[in-house]
Amino acid sequence: MANARKTRGESLLLRYLVLGGWALVCLLPILWFLSIGFRPRTEVITPEPIYWPTWSLDAWYLLTSDWPIAQYLRNSVVAVAGSVVIDLVLAIPAAYALSRYEFKGREDIGFYILSTRMMAPAIVAVPIFFLFKEMGLLDSVWALMLIYAAINLSLVTWIIRSYMLDIPKELEDAARTDGAGDLTILREIIIPACLPGIITAAVIAAIFAINEFLFTLLIASTSKAYTMSVALANFTGGSDGIIYNAIALVSFIAFVPILILVILIQKHLSRGLTMGAVKG
Amino acid sequence: MASIHLENIAKRYGVFVGVQDISLRIEDEEFLVLLGPSGCGKTTTMRMIAGLETPTEGQIIIDGEVVNEIDARDRDVAMVFQGYALYPNMSIYDNIRFPLRMRGIPASEHDARIRKAADMVELGAFLDRKPAALSGGQRQRAALARAIVRQPQVFLMDEPLSNLDAKLRQSMRVQIKHMQRQLKVTTVYVTHDQIEAMTLADRIVIMNNGAIQQVGTPDQIYSDPANTFVAGFIGSPPMNLIDGEAKDGRFTAPGITAPCPAHVQGKVTLGVRPEDCHVGGDHVQGMVYGVEPTGDVTYLTVVAGTKKIEVKAARDYRSDIDMPIAISFDPAHLYFFEEAGARIRGGT
Repeated sequence: MANARKTRGESLLLRYLVLGGWALVCLLPILWFLSIGFRPRTEVITPEPIYWPTWSLDAWYLLTSDWPIAQYLRNSVVAVAGSVVIDLVLAIPAAYALSRYEFKGREDIGFYILSTRMMAPAIVAVPIFFLFKEMGLLDSVWALMLIYAAINLSLVTWIIRSYMLDIPKELEDAARTDGAGDLTILREIIIPACLPGIITAAVIAAIFAINEFLFTLLIASTSKAYTMSVALANFTGGSDGIIYNAIALVSFIAFVPILILVILIQKHLSRGLTMGAVKG
Repeated sequence: MASIHLENIAKRYGVFVGVQDISLRIEDEEFLVLLGPSGCGKTTTMRMIAGLETPTEGQIIIDGEVVNEIDARDRDVAMVFQGYALYPNMSIYDNIRFPLRMRGIPASEHDARIRKAADMVELGAFLDRKPAALSGGQRQRAALARAIVRQPQVFLMDEPLSNLDAKLRQSMRVQIKHMQRQLKVTTVYVTHDQIEAMTLADRIVIMNNGAIQQVGTPDQIYSDPANTFVAGFIGSPPMNLIDGEAKDGRFTAPGITAPCPAHVQGKVTLGVRPEDCHVGGDHVQGMVYGVEPTGDVTYLTVVAGTKKIEVKAARDYRSDIDMPIAISFDPAHLYFFEEAGARIRGGT
């Protein structure tokens, strides 16, 4: 008995060692960034490695005094959150129709929606610029919201559709004989049953949107619409040269909201909510 | 409380025929079982009664009203599915409540009705659990409770027990039958399990290839099969069907000779149930192929010519394989079928 327990303890220790090692590998770049962000600029660009840095809030002061970093962050969050909401509102009914209704050309429409994702974004950059200019939407967060939503809509639709296809048809038949109509079935049965899929799609869309650069650069021209991703680029040019520690800090700030989001919804990212609905 | 009338129902998917020309009258309070192999159209028939499929031809009449054009949600029909189909995000309580909410039953009545239905299936203690936290048998009972809670005109059950293990199946079978008698609701039950059909049904409808083969009480189906399909489908082990030649009151096949009525002539199939075969006598001369003691009865398989014949022998019967053996048939319980499968009856 004692022996068995010991073996078990050892294998547990080994497991933690392996997992801990892997976690370190994954975390190292982030910790590295963080350490750069809190070092003085001179120490960052010195050729010899410095293992015990002197901490400084130089980059932070630079960001808060010279740059409206809170505004950028707010722009990012508003544009990304708005785009995800638009995506979900449009994609959920579309995915439901594509996964459940029988109609002519269903597969073709599904493929067409996905194919919009296959084009290189740069191809439509110029037309989109003029389109938004005509609509008077340049340099606004609303424009970014629309662009992000458009970029991710096809992907979100497809992810949700694939989850909906996995929901047993029996569930809907049951709801129908119980007296529910299409919208009730969608609201009370389908959406809760594919919630992990919806959340996964939303997180992926948010990550893509927050990292979007090309169209943001095109549409945003002042801090009114600058997001974190474009703000980052602004540290790489200009008379001051490349401000590495500020870049590192901004990167970290841009990364935090997504990190918090993923931690919050981690439970839902794993599948298994339909377990127990149907034998299997 | 309702009768169901199917008039010349057919369901085709393009060129594929799911159900062809079925006419059937299901009486009020009757327990009717649709029995047949998979793909025989029994589930399609049930789904048409539920309103989940629309018949290509024919009329479905529930309680005097043609319901072809009425959507499933507006028919007063409750269905229990093979895979239970419990809503995974809702507790058992909310699952049972769902049909009450959908049918606009006053909220003040919900709680009492849910508890009554749950108590009927002995699930009262599990109401706040999610379906995932229940065992297979409990899930099936929850699905039953969801069906009975709104007191529908008709119950439809689509192989509700096929995912359960044998022991649970037996106890659930009794429970379903008891419940149906208690509630007096017209019930259509689909299964491919002949034991379920025999034990549950007031009447059995045997289907094959989208068509009805025979309709009758379990006793009629067992003792008076209409054709070789029904004869070979019912019984465990099923009836022995032996192809041979009948001439002048004598049926012959390799290793087999048996009396037959004088009007049975030519190429025919002899049917005899394993319990009507006895060790000894002179109808079959063959070899022992296998002996399977089960405790209360011993199944004996005999090869005569190339045909294997199942015999229900005494519980203490034992033999080595490849021993010569003689078998006799009970002449009062021989069935004869035409080559095409239809039963040859009566005559003098």
